[in-house]
Amino acid sequence: MEPLIRVEGVSKCFNRGRPNEIWPVREVSLEIYPNEVVVLKGPSGSGKTTLLGLIGCMSRPTAGKILVKGMDVAKLPERFLTEIRRKTFGFIFQQFNLIKGITVKENIMLPLYPTPLGFKEISQTVNTLMKTLSLEHRADFRVEILSGGEQQRVAIARALVNNPDILMADEPTAHLDSKLSKDLLEILNTLKSKGKTIVIATHDPLVFESNIVDRVYEVRDGSIRASS
Amino acid sequence: MKKYIVFIGIVVIEIVIFLGLLLYGIDKVSEKKAELNTLRQLAHELRLTDFSIWTEARYTRHPSQADWFSAFQDYPSSVEHFPAGSIIPPPELILKEGGS
Amino acid sequence: MKKHLKILEFALSSLLRRKYKNLSIVLVFSMVTFVIASILFLTHSFKKEALSVLEGAPQLIVQRLIAGRHALIPVSYIDEIKKMPGVGKVSPRYWGYYYDQLTGANYTIIGLDRAWSVNGRVMEGTALAPEDIGYCNIGFGVSDRRFLQVGDDLFLQDTKGGLYHFKVKGIFNMKSQLLTNDLVLITKKDFINLFQFPPSMATDLVVEVYNPSEVTNIAKKIKERLPDTRPITHDEILRTYNSLFNWRSGLMLTMFAGAVLAFVILAWDKATGLSAEERQEIGILKAIGWETSDVLALKFWEGASLSIISYLTGIIAAYFHVFFFGASIFAPALKGWSVLFPDFRLVPDIDIYQCFVLFMVTVLPYTVATIVPSWKAAVTDPDSVMRG
Repeated sequence: MEPLIRVEGVSKCFNRGRPNEIWPVREVSLEIYPNEVVVLKGPSGSGKTTLLGLIGCMSRPTAGKILVKGMDVAKLPERFLTEIRRKTFGFIFQQFNLIKGITVKENIMLPLYPTPLGFKEISQTVNTLMKTLSLEHRADFRVEILSGGEQQRVAIARALVNNPDILMADEPTAHLDSKLSKDLLEILNTLKSKGKTIVIATHDPLVFESNIVDRVYEVRDGSIRASS
Repeated sequence: MKKYIVFIGIVVIEIVIFLGLLLYGIDKVSEKKAELNTLRQLAHELRLTDFSIWTEARYTRHPSQADWFSAFQDYPSSVEHFPAGSIIPPPELILKEGGS
Repeated sequence: MKKHLKILEFALSSLLRRKYKNLSIVLVFSMVTFVIASILFLTHSFKKEALSVLEGAPQLIVQRLIAGRHALIPVSYIDEIKKMPGVGKVSPRYWGYYYDQLTGANYTIIGLDRAWSVNGRVMEGTALAPEDIGYCNIGFGVSDRRFLQVGDDLFLQDTKGGLYHFKVKGIFNMKSQLLTNDLVLITKKDFINLFQFPPSMATDLVVEVYNPSEVTNIAKKIKERLPDTRPITHDEILRTYNSLFNWRSGLMLTMFAGAVLAFVILAWDKATGLSAEERQEIGILKAIGWETSDVLALKFWEGASLSIISYLTGIIAAYFHVFFFGASIFAPALKGWSVLFPDFRLVPDIDIYQCFVLFMVTVLPYTVATIVPSWKAAVTDPDSVMRG
């Protein structure tokens, strides 16, 4: 079976040539197949977030190749990268990264604003999504007054609104208690059953020991140590 | 209602008001034309050279007729108009002829 | 287009988050536009009206100077000037000032020596004829100050302290105030008696020139032939007023420049200073699939919506202020003061070009200042938001 994403010998360097030069990701190779749940496991500072960003076309690798659906994205110009990011990936950030001061609904609508869809279609899509994630009673609340679990679900809704193939989650349980973490896994499981591919960076055993996970890559000091 | 509708609404209303004011202005100007004609004729008939705005001194009542160096001279309560004012530059004539 | 509406929608949401801050910017921005537009409208309308009235002023006035001061001119100069080719009628003007201790006002007294009439009503009562000895026409300001009606007596003190009285035959109406407010029109004979005016002298001379383009040449010739005279051409009169109003409006703008500068600094700081929060938001937008151009469009709409609303509000308010409320805030600076002050009713004659320029110097720089600093944030990789 053809992998959805193939990472070949990817390295990433920040502040290159300066005294504070660092290589958070070195010579990483991995494969992600469709409809898999993949976990990048590792302690904080191991480079898994950076790796997640590289896979999700948020930044370019310093060396190596990243093939998304067989296309090398490392050399694509910025515009195409944005388009791939928009069409292929949905992100759930550790900090949720919701935009404060605007409503839940607007937050979820945001990724669709630059698309050709009209307000009506966007609104419909978002309403359905909010229903699935039981957020519709919060639609017109400003995001910052929501609880952590609710904010998480808003972030998930926003990640899903583009109907991406791959969902990327960075430490999704970091701000949740174990009850909410289980709810999250439940949601992810549902998404998996709907055919989504999910990539999670985490060091939470609750996640990587869960039975929904198909494959775990252990990341340490920027390299893959083991996979299972 | 969407915010952009409100915004565009406000902008359109303001533009309409402004255009309305412009039209009103054009209308008023043509209305006033006859009046200005009468005044022009009056100036001609009575051979008036200046406006009756600042009546206190002859260099303010008839600025076009007064000599250039009259300050504080005509009106008992006149306190303004410092001679060789610090705001108006000296006449070009002086600058051109190498004066300081 | 659809996309821009959506981005505009978000831009407005975004602005509304900092409601009071942005509202105060709109307020101050509108105020600045309002003040500048008021001054421009006022000056323009004023100048246009004034200069169009002065088109009727005499083509050429000849004064006499003695020791550098305006002095009475001998009537015999008329024949001298008449001899010059191209000169038509030359006639004397009799006029002067009268300080009225009673009211503290200065009047302009004109001694009338010829019949006059205009189309259209300029006064209540009837116009003075040259043979109406003992009668007068007075300006609205004079009648107002002295509480005079048509048929009442106007008392003026002569040079020896005696009182002269003139029956008011007509009062110039408010519409002609700009020209006539302080006028007292009496016959030439009364004028000479009142001021003990030396015979065979006049205040100055009005020279008619056949060919208007020759006025300057003739003025030069008069100055050569009669070196103690000072010819004043029609163009010079217009120029005097033009620069007078320009000076006054320039003065106002100068006084106001400090405030404008303060606003520029405020706006600049607000528009260019990209807070950590805003930088983060740009990162989020990029991460969720916004292109750099979308982010810049967002910033464009943030700046443009704010400044367009402010501009329009300011300019409309200025229009109302100047043309419906008599420019009550700035008129004092442009018009100055006087004991006898005409009541201006400005014609709403505005210059679209000025509005356009004002647009270019307010909306444009503000919008640009909003976009430019976002540029750098918008082109960086969005993964920075992942590292919080």
